[in-house]
Amino acid sequence: MALICAASLPVSAQAEAGDGDAATAIRALEHEWAEAQSRNDNGALDLIFDNALVYIEYGKLVTKGDYLLRVKSAKPSLQLIVMEALMVRTFGSTVIAIGSYRETEVKDGKSLLKRWRFVDTWVYENGRWMLVAAAATPVSK
Amino acid sequence: MRTLTLIVLLAFARTAPAYAPESSDSDAEAKILAMERVWGQAYLSKDPKALERILDNTFVNVNSDGRLQTKADVLVEVRTSTVLQFLTESMAVHLHGNTAIVTGIFLIKGVERGKPFAQRERFVGTWLRKNGQWVSIAGLVTRIGQ
Repeated sequence: MALICAASLPVSAQAEAGDGDAATAIRALEHEWAEAQSRNDNGALDLIFDNALVYIEYGKLVTKGDYLLRVKSAKPSLQLIVMEALMVRTFGSTVIAIGSYRETEVKDGKSLLKRWRFVDTWVYENGRWMLVAAAATPVSK
Repeated sequence: MRTLTLIVLLAFARTAPAYAPESSDSDAEAKILAMERVWGQAYLSKDPKALERILDNTFVNVNSDGRLQTKADVLVEVRTSTVLQFLTESMAVHLHGNTAIVTGIFLIKGVERGKPFAQRERFVGTWLRKNGQWVSIAGLVTRIGQ
């Protein structure tokens, strides 16, 4: 189980296509992604992940199928994710989201804290914003 | 007959695009892969000129320490590079219209503060076709085996 701590964000993220609102939509989608993952909700993730999604975590290249399988079969562990800064840059139908988060995982009674920085790329295709690439790397102390 | 030939030629001429920078997706992929290789060359030669052209002014990168870098930061890093070997492998391009995602691995060897280092890192880069030119708008690098 993951607990997500972030500011309250609008729920409907796919309602618009205008450039000016793209940043708002992507902020909401980033939040939806984290929420869906915390519920192991593969159906919701399937809707926002492009079929050609490339995901990089722990130095490994992961496909959409691999990612959804991992979420589905994830062992329960108490995990707290605190979103930090999120910077969104829009380039028409392409948006880059750069941010960081703190992850605290309790495993075997021990608390592990890690800070990550990520870069996500969203593309507006067929009337929807889809995640086409995402990558995260640990922040060195 | 000559009139007919002229009409046929004109008809074909009209179907040709006025501006065709790339004839296929594979042309776009080849261009992007070539520009990705410019990165390695820039670090080896300590010459950021070519890189300056292919990085968008808004470019941001997250390096393998999780540090955020702007275009200016990357250009300074290139000028002061201590990289002696820069090899790329397993590069792949995924096109989404005017956006391209590139993934790959690079192996870097060099000397830092008198000590030799070797790093194998995975990267992802986002490219955007702007005014007919591909430019890099974002990237992230992470160590393999972390």
